[in-house]
Amino acid sequence: MKIRHFTQYKLFALLAVIATVLAACITPAQPGAQSAPTTGPILIGVSGPLTGTMAQYGAQWKKGFDLALEEINGAGGINGRKLEYTFEDSQSDPKQSVVIAQKFVADPNIVVELGDFSSSASMAASQIYQRGGLVQFGFTNSHPDFTKAGGDYTWSNSVTQLQASPALADFAITTLGLKKLAVFQINNDWGKATNDLFTPRVKELGGEIVANESYLADEKDFRSALTTVSDAKPDGIILISYQADGALIAQQAQEAGIKAMLVGSASLQSPDFTSLGGKAVEGTMILGEFMPSDPRPEVQALVEKFKTKYNEEPDLFAALAYDTINLIAAAIKEGGATRQGIHDALPKLKDVPSVIYGKVTFDPTTRRVQNPRFENLIVKDGQFVPWDGTKPAQ
Amino acid sequence: MPHFLRTFFDQTINGLVIGNIYALTAVGLALIFGVGNLINFAHGSVYMIGAYVGWVCVTQLHMPLVATFGVVAVICGLLGMGIERIGLRRLQNSARIAPLLATIGISFVLDQLVQIIFSPNPQSFPNPLPTTRLQIGGVSIGMTDLLIAAIGIGIGIILFLFLRYTKIGWALRATAQDRDAAQQMGVDVNRVNQAAFALAAILGGIAGMLIGLYFNTVYPTMSFQAGLKGFAANLLGGLGNIPGSIIGGLVLGLVESYGVALFGATYRNLFAFVILIAVLVIRPNGLFSRKRQAPPEPLTGTFIANNKPITLPVWGVIALAVIALLLPFFVGDPYFLQILTNAWLLGMVALSVTLVTGTAGQTSLGQAGFLAIGAYASALLTLRLHWPFELALLAAGLITAILGTLLVLPAFRLRAHYVAIATLGIGEIVNQVILNWNGLTNGVMGLTNLPPPTFLGVVAVLPHQIYWYSLILLLLGALFQWQLLRSPLGRTWRAIREDDIAAQAYGINLNRYKALAFAASAFIAGISGAFTGHMYTYINHETFTNTTSILVLTMVILGGMGNMLGAVVGAVALTVLPELFRGMADYRYLFYGLALIMMIRYRPQGLLGSI
Amino acid sequence: MALLEVKNLSRNFAGVLAVDKVSFAVKEGETVSVIGPNGAGKTTLFNLLTGQDQPTEGEIVFEGQSLIGLPADQFASHGIARTFQHGRVFGNLSVLDNVLVGAHARRRAVQSRLPLGGLASELWAALFRPAATKAEEKALRQTAETIIARFGERLTPRLQQPAYSLSYANRRRVEIARALALQPRLLLLDEPTAGMNPTETAEMLAFIRLLKQQGLTILLIEHKLSLVMQLSNHVIVMDNGQKIAEGPPEVIRNDERVIEAYLGRKQRLDQPAANEAATVIV
Repeated sequence: MKIRHFTQYKLFALLAVIATVLAACITPAQPGAQSAPTTGPILIGVSGPLTGTMAQYGAQWKKGFDLALEEINGAGGINGRKLEYTFEDSQSDPKQSVVIAQKFVADPNIVVELGDFSSSASMAASQIYQRGGLVQFGFTNSHPDFTKAGGDYTWSNSVTQLQASPALADFAITTLGLKKLAVFQINNDWGKATNDLFTPRVKELGGEIVANESYLADEKDFRSALTTVSDAKPDGIILISYQADGALIAQQAQEAGIKAMLVGSASLQSPDFTSLGGKAVEGTMILGEFMPSDPRPEVQALVEKFKTKYNEEPDLFAALAYDTINLIAAAIKEGGATRQGIHDALPKLKDVPSVIYGKVTFDPTTRRVQNPRFENLIVKDGQFVPWDGTKPAQ
Repeated sequence: MPHFLRTFFDQTINGLVIGNIYALTAVGLALIFGVGNLINFAHGSVYMIGAYVGWVCVTQLHMPLVATFGVVAVICGLLGMGIERIGLRRLQNSARIAPLLATIGISFVLDQLVQIIFSPNPQSFPNPLPTTRLQIGGVSIGMTDLLIAAIGIGIGIILFLFLRYTKIGWALRATAQDRDAAQQMGVDVNRVNQAAFALAAILGGIAGMLIGLYFNTVYPTMSFQAGLKGFAANLLGGLGNIPGSIIGGLVLGLVESYGVALFGATYRNLFAFVILIAVLVIRPNGLFSRKRQAPPEPLTGTFIANNKPITLPVWGVIALAVIALLLPFFVGDPYFLQILTNAWLLGMVALSVTLVTGTAGQTSLGQAGFLAIGAYASALLTLRLHWPFELALLAAGLITAILGTLLVLPAFRLRAHYVAIATLGIGEIVNQVILNWNGLTNGVMGLTNLPPPTFLGVVAVLPHQIYWYSLILLLLGALFQWQLLRSPLGRTWRAIREDDIAAQAYGINLNRYKALAFAASAFIAGISGAFTGHMYTYINHETFTNTTSILVLTMVILGGMGNMLGAVVGAVALTVLPELFRGMADYRYLFYGLALIMMIRYRPQGLLGSI
Repeated sequence: MALLEVKNLSRNFAGVLAVDKVSFAVKEGETVSVIGPNGAGKTTLFNLLTGQDQPTEGEIVFEGQSLIGLPADQFASHGIARTFQHGRVFGNLSVLDNVLVGAHARRRAVQSRLPLGGLASELWAALFRPAATKAEEKALRQTAETIIARFGERLTPRLQQPAYSLSYANRRRVEIARALALQPRLLLLDEPTAGMNPTETAEMLAFIRLLKQQGLTILLIEHKLSLVMQLSNHVIVMDNGQKIAEGPPEVIRNDERVIEAYLGRKQRLDQPAANEAATVIV
């Protein structure tokens, strides 16, 4: 293109004038603040990954949602109205989660939002939900700042590291009697925060961290790190990991001939951990939140239904999704099927039955679950089972 | 054996095994680059498909390992031939960058197809080999290690014999050396290309299958990292250099392994890319290239397609700007406004890319690094030093301009495809530094509670406010860039793009003008990143990833290289399109990839044409 | 004193001596031609003389200053301009812009030697377009148009057309116009008439002769020996990287070593120049 000799100053001046005029005095057309409809289905908006690198988590969510909704709607819905959800794929990318947030906020049919998955996508949208007066219920957001960054419309039933990490240290040192610990830590916000709270508690309890290996989420090769760990001769390896990387570490540790006890937290508690890890994860001790083999009747009921429907056991993400729908249903029953109703009901909820925690009551200031319960588990014959208190042979 | 020695040997074996996989991937890329002069972005996808085919054969069909390798080779070979058909053959006469983009589109489609068929979940790939380990003087070696080593060496020998003693091997080497001469001597270049793609895909597929065995798991998104490491290894050895690629792969594997042992796995990618950039600076044509030779004289420039761009008269541009500014009065839907806000902010990035890539001819795949620098600069200035947003925004632009230019400086010596990969590496390095520099960036936790954008003290948070703010930033950015382009600078940059040798012969100091192009580009990108960060109020190392860099380059090529209006049109199109495809759920990126391939096929110069 | 003095210049490509200890001098206002069979090292010599390639040893002295080790763009700012054997116009730039790029080294903003000062003044000039910059650009434009006008109706109507749309001969003309826009002290022409028909060649001969008459110093590589004989003050003959003869055209015409270099070796099909040379010399 031949670039014309043109009066760019005129263009600039024109734009400046228009901009000033616009910014100064006018409010553009805005959709009227419609209230939620009082008949027809009650709609939940879900923002999460269905494609892209984190798609597997969105797939688990869906299974949990569908099962919970089947039950609720099968029993006649809420006050005769069906509960439904619309799942918008964000790829857990903040560019898309903010667009989805605007879409949901503008849609009067949506009374509550669930998600997103990654912190970067979830927290980018928090302010939009807060301003829109739509509760963002981030049920897998363990970033300690998640409920702080938003405001009174940002809630979560996920356990934060503030609660889970010291508990993990107690479990390893006091309950299991380990002294020298090697730590593998996935280097994301969750792993970092967990480790930062875990290490001082271990020292308080008189334990010792003899090796600390952090790795990126897409890391597949732990052989180098394991060589270092092996040299430090730990009696326990703490896996601050997710299921897939945790299983890989276990496998590669076994191949490297390391015999130390593996200890992890709820993040490992997925059937994928045992199916990917196979023999190598046998005897892994887990301070868990949810366990398909938990004898509690509500858990067994879920596992039964989940197996019938999907031919697999639910993992933590599916269980969280299932729990969350029930929690939201309880909030709607308490406060009504409106945005404000749900917002007002959440702090008032008391002892809502939960597959994961037994009963859920929120702390209205942190907007997180009060005193979440943990379970001592062990991997036995490819299953997570409650630990009977006898230490596995090393 | 002393401790450190045993550790050293163990790490060496780890490094060699992983390096072997890198080498297999890199050799394929080298073959394709050699004959087709193309960086094949779909190579990682072929690798992933190889892993999946292997997984199906072993776990579903219970085939023996040997037969599995055969099936993987056949299927991947056919796939490679298909990619050549779509990605290269029909695009031979279009701009140099078109085939590269076509392979990006193909990789979208392949990755998405696998995800739809096999679900996004990782699949367990139990290793059928015995798990016994050989103990040799205190060093232990697993069966898989041996298998990978054997296959690596075996393939190396077969490849050597093939290239040396078969007719098609001769033709391959001849074409790689001088395409035109080979064609004149009666070599069917299309067949050679096809052979190279098939061969490369077979190697890539086998590499993928081996990695599946090695890590006992396969998953759809394994492709991108694999491709990246393959490029790095290939670049270390010299693009198109087959023995160089093998050594490059092994070196990369060893460096990573030792680096991880010394500093921890978080630093793995940082190491890989720092080494890569270092090598490029010291030996711009790879570790094993011959001495620098003056490149052959080309005919007229072919970086962008020769075409007649569609130009809009100035009043047309003003009219569009006014329509965009008035839009919120007619469409108040915040969803719609947010989409366009994203489009304006990405449009700024597209402008910045079209400046370095379209106008100055330096393909940048590292623009996300600039966005991240801008966002962090402004976030830290407002959070830690309590600067007002307006000032922090401007400062973020300037900081990004300076830091960004300094980061890219080592790549100034590089030409053509090397620049693309080096900038990709630089983008990766920026993210790694953000991740690991806890003191400054708060590491993985990211920065929370960024103050929202303000304009002269007025907080802009409502959809229409953000819309106007971002639109005005885009218009100012465009005006800035337009001023540069219509000055003698624009002419100088375009001369460098067309023919840097001739440009230099006429007194153009290449480094100075590349620096200016990157500085101006980083300035615009930095402001966009800063605004985006404050709009999100939370940023971490995942906020701006290299997929954004690729997305933006795609926008630029879609709109037409060097075409400012085209960059904005491309940004709008590629922001709106995935939203339109929302209803298709899992299929939407499949359609997106297909749309991209069709576009490149039928309008390689971009919607509005290159300038 | 000679304008250009070349002493013992050598270039070694991985064991092959493309240029082997070549020495010669060019005086102000002279036209000197370099001839020799293909592969004799003529273009490599040009690349060395313009900084596109660095010599393995030897000296290049221009107006009393050594140019060894300088980057190519510094050669241009010393006033050395060249054209390329196969023509390297900027395809997507207009004819006018191509020629204006030739004047690049003359722009004031470019001449600042401070690394950051140069950047800053260039940006300032681009963004705020001070009157001085406008005037400079206007003057350069006029000069460019004048240079283009010297090629008559060949280029003037195509001022705004992109260079890729031009005929081969016109691209060569654009190249020469671009080189002239530098207002060079020394002009290196690498086969300016390659691919031109007899009419166009005659036109080019007249044009170069005019440049010579205006006092421009020219170093010429050319295969069409009739042209060489008509234009040159003296001729340098190269073979296998070495200078095998040098002298006035009439002497070179009869030099036995030259005849042998062109005819004495085994005839190769890819050497049309040898046949052509034979017709001229015999």
